[in-house]
Amino acid sequence: MTRIAILNYGMGNLRSVAKALEQVGAEAEVTDEPEVARRADGIVLPGVGAFPKAMVQIRERGLDQLVEERSAAGVPILGICLGLQLLFASSTELGGSPGLGLLEGEVTEIAAGGLKVPHIGWSPVEWERMSSPLPLGIDPGTPFYFVHSFAVRPRPDEVIGTAAHGERFACAVQRDKVFGVQFHPEKSSAAGLALLANFAGFCARTLTAA
Amino acid sequence: MILYPAIDIRGCAAVRLTQGDYARETRYDVDPVDAAARWAEGGAPFLHVVDLDGARGGAPQNLESVRRIAAAVSCPIQIGGGLRDAASVEAALGTGAERVVIGTAALRDSGFLADLLAAHVERVVVSVDVRGGRVSLAGWTETSEIDAAEAVAELGDRGVRRFLFTPIEVDGTMEGPGLGELLRVAEATSAEVLYSGGVGDLGDLRALASAAPANVTGAIVGRALYEGRFTVAEAKAALQGA
Repeated sequence: MTRIAILNYGMGNLRSVAKALEQVGAEAEVTDEPEVARRADGIVLPGVGAFPKAMVQIRERGLDQLVEERSAAGVPILGICLGLQLLFASSTELGGSPGLGLLEGEVTEIAAGGLKVPHIGWSPVEWERMSSPLPLGIDPGTPFYFVHSFAVRPRPDEVIGTAAHGERFACAVQRDKVFGVQFHPEKSSAAGLALLANFAGFCARTLTAA
Repeated sequence: MILYPAIDIRGCAAVRLTQGDYARETRYDVDPVDAAARWAEGGAPFLHVVDLDGARGGAPQNLESVRRIAAAVSCPIQIGGGLRDAASVEAALGTGAERVVIGTAALRDSGFLADLLAAHVERVVVSVDVRGGRVSLAGWTETSEIDAAEAVAELGDRGVRRFLFTPIEVDGTMEGPGLGELLRVAEATSAEVLYSGGVGDLGDLRALASAAPANVTGAIVGRALYEGRFTVAEAKAALQGA
């Protein structure tokens, strides 16, 4: 069974992520110990809350080094919501903070153009790159559930999905084996589970190929 | 308009009351997680969970069930029932619920409401439950002299962004929604309004979708789903005008 570690750095409710991964047949383990995460075939970086505080808590647990090390070792990584943002070089949230830097680009406030911030609710996702393993079998325009005030500004060639809230923003990103989604797949019904199943499947194939 | 299947928890089981009467309960699932999982797997975009014991008792009683529901389903949930102080609200949000639904306390305690909105404005739904046009309080066991439309207008001015409106007379009857009352209340505010009560068939949902103003963004359905009058998918389509 594919083992996926969900990194617990003290922010957010992680049980729904674990349950969703178990529902798609993965073995999910919530952990804040680098040693435990090191044994996993894939890593999920979840997150709710503010960027700078999350980075402090990640560093306190040595999880920043763990993520960098596992990524270098070719282990697939999926960031969810704030977890996606943390993968980037920096964020402007609350005065600014550097991130994990696995992805190029910055995280800035969403340009909602008068719409409510945070952007909360179901929004359709357009898949820009169907060759990515993440959207396999998911129809273009299928809605996913979002809760966020900031958006990532990735390299254009690393955007695999977009959504709109005032502006059109990148909501799914991939660079090699590093993935991230701005929406909450664990709260996005059947399509969200399909996306998590796709990630778990990618972890399993990566393991076999290694 | 978004469909919110309702899960009412009483004594750890999923039940439906008729017209809010605790003596007229129909018990549907021994474990409310089963009901929640059924609606979520059917494609529910959101779940509306009510702790009936909490609503009557004045403090949440079934948060462990809520926690299990939040973890088990792959859609967001909102939770209400007995959330009348900051500690209860924090405990309810700590279950993994996206939103809290508060009733009595918003009307009776303006300090509590102001603090709650300051901390969680987008996660707060204020429930306005109405009998004969007047707001009902304390788990529907008391009726006040407050006019429903006036209450909504005033609470909207105080910063409430989302209401839940329920005409108690029709709730649990499946005899059709209280459209007139809904229009009166929805037009009194620019905030979002979720509607609950009396939905019995797909025609009721189509009527809601076509008659309600644009700020009515959701419909809560309980008994009709439990009794198999229609499926989650059919209800979603009806609310899209199909």
